[in-house]
Amino acid sequence: MDIGPIWRAMLRNKSGFVLIALQIAVTLTIIVNAFGIIQERSGRVARDSGIDEANTFAFASVLFTDYEREQRKTLIDEDLDLIRNVPGVINAVASNSFPLRQGGWSMGVALEPGNQGPESVGTAIYFVDEHGAETFDVDIIDGKNFTPGQVAWSIENDNTWPAYGIITEALGKEMWPDETGSYVGKTMFINDTDPVNIVGVVDTLQAPWESWTGVERSMLVPQRRPSEFVRYIVRAEPGMRDRLMPEIEAMLAASNKDRIIRDMTTMDEVRKLAYVGDAALIKILSFVVLLLTIITSLGIVGLASFNVSRRTRQIGIRRALGATKPAIVRYFLIENSIVSAIGLVVGSALAIGLNIVMVEAFSLEPLAWYVIPAGVIALWAVGQLAVADPARRASNISPAIATRSS
Amino acid sequence: MLKMTNVSKIYRTDTVETHALRGFSLTVEEGEFVSVTGPSGSGKTTFLNIAGLLEELTSGNYEIDGRDISSLNDKERSRVRNEKIGFIFQSFNLIPELNVYDNVDVPLRYRGFDAKERERRIMGCLERVGLASRPTHFPAQLSGGQQQRVAIARALAGEPRFLLADEPTGNLDTHMADSVLDLLAEINEAGTTIIMVTHELTLADRANRNLFVRDGHIHDGPPELHFATAANA
Ligand SMILES: Nc1ncnc2c1ncn2[C@@H]1O[C@H](COP(=O)(O)OP(=O)(O)OP(=O)(O)O)[C@@H](O)[C@H]1O
Ligand SMILES: [Mg+2]
Repeated sequence: MDIGPIWRAMLRNKSGFVLIALQIAVTLTIIVNAFGIIQERSGRVARDSGIDEANTFAFASVLFTDYEREQRKTLIDEDLDLIRNVPGVINAVASNSFPLRQGGWSMGVALEPGNQGPESVGTAIYFVDEHGAETFDVDIIDGKNFTPGQVAWSIENDNTWPAYGIITEALGKEMWPDETGSYVGKTMFINDTDPVNIVGVVDTLQAPWESWTGVERSMLVPQRRPSEFVRYIVRAEPGMRDRLMPEIEAMLAASNKDRIIRDMTTMDEVRKLAYVGDAALIKILSFVVLLLTIITSLGIVGLASFNVSRRTRQIGIRRALGATKPAIVRYFLIENSIVSAIGLVVGSALAIGLNIVMVEAFSLEPLAWYVIPAGVIALWAVGQLAVADPARRASNISPAIATRSS
Repeated sequence: MLKMTNVSKIYRTDTVETHALRGFSLTVEEGEFVSVTGPSGSGKTTFLNIAGLLEELTSGNYEIDGRDISSLNDKERSRVRNEKIGFIFQSFNLIPELNVYDNVDVPLRYRGFDAKERERRIMGCLERVGLASRPTHFPAQLSGGQQQRVAIARALAGEPRFLLADEPTGNLDTHMADSVLDLLAEINEAGTTIIMVTHELTLADRANRNLFVRDGHIHDGPPELHFATAANA
């Protein structure tokens, strides 16, 4: 059976087909753009934070008794000593923040000393000792880790910035875009005039703010800070995390009763919290995609069923004139392909248009080249599946209808 | 040649069994013009549907050109309908969404002819029924007589050996009925075997063989005879 007469017959009975074609067009427009957003968000969620999330947890130790600066240093040293000696702990560090935490410390760094102008580059700061790299599970791909001698306690009323830093590759690239060799040994300026010598480069260590465009830029700074509020990050051996969390909490609570241990949290929970908005958006949009597809396929089933009953007689006549059952099925499949083709061509144009608008309005990524073709194929297949059953029913109409009803 | 032996047809519904045809035997020879008459509900349409492979028989044997039909599957039955049999119906049964040309085209496409061959046949048949000037008209734009002529053109386009007609003039006035019957007679002259169900004895008279159906039994002989015997009984 050829397209010609099927098409001409459709022209005599347009309204239903026009509505379905429109529905298909709108569905394609929305689902491919929704899919584009899902894809983008999934890509964000899938980014590597750099740390060993599955085996890492964090908590805070908060003093509620007045301690001298030296007492606070001693307590931190004691705490870290205790934690690092617990079997199953790979390493631990006291730091101001960690990736995905949504709060942290940022600084501007520049190539020249002096007032930080617009050319200065923002970076997240993690204050650590020489155990920071192993606790955060970062690979030092160039240069070396801090030596114990490079790590120092901060000094009261002295804001001079530590002279050493380990930076992420992304930060290096932002500072020296044309550098093809090593960033190690280079100097940059922070705090207006304080020089920082780069001693090492790590591949990935995200800033605490997942939605920041500079999320891949961070720097480990070899300074220890004896505050009343100390954040500990602990990396456990695989499988040990859940056992160590209560164990270490109890141990520290017992070791010093002038402080409380709180905010005990796994990195998995931290990640969940950081991406809760993205996860919700992905869920909602997936649901929209599914719902629209179902509604459209129901529309197609409805129109096809209506057409089968409307054409009962003509189908019997066609059978009497020599149509085989597969020929009747084919008629409906071709008819649906024609409606789909129109809807999908219009829908593709609308989808591209909507994408251009969204890219400009919400600075989204443009759709990947294959998303629209994939949507077209998927909706075409949905249409064919949707007419399959009505078409099969049509093919079972008896040719005797031609003589029996009048 | 159509050869039916001991053919019966029983319709079964939940509550009743209708014996529409009760074991008859019949042979229709090549080139015959057969009329079928009989009271309403006697089984005329059932007989025609079985002869035209629109329905399956309940028991008995049916051969077309020496080939046993009961062993054919649905696809093969469709093919026999398409190639050997043309149908004309009381209510014309044109497809309303298709114009005259496309209506006549329907069986030819199922046959698989190429566009050139189809056009040759369509225009030839429309010529033959006197409608060559209206290929783009739609059924609703034609009179009943014209619609039936299109249906005849459609039935003839595949050059079938058998033309089965169920009250082809039932929906036409006498004038149009006569002209349709002239056309059928002409087609029969040209060699096509015709079996025509009709209510009207004057039309039945124009056939060269008359069958009479009553209570699912088929009898040979002129209808007047049967009406007479029925009246005498
Ligand atoms: N699909 C069916 N199911 C059940 N019974 C049927 C069916 N088709 C026909 N019958 C019955 O079979 C019998 C013969 O019907 P048929 O249509 O062959 O009669 P007919 O001679 O053509 O009548 P008419 O002159 O009114 O067209 C009738 O009793 C009819 O009710
Ligand atoms: Mg009848």
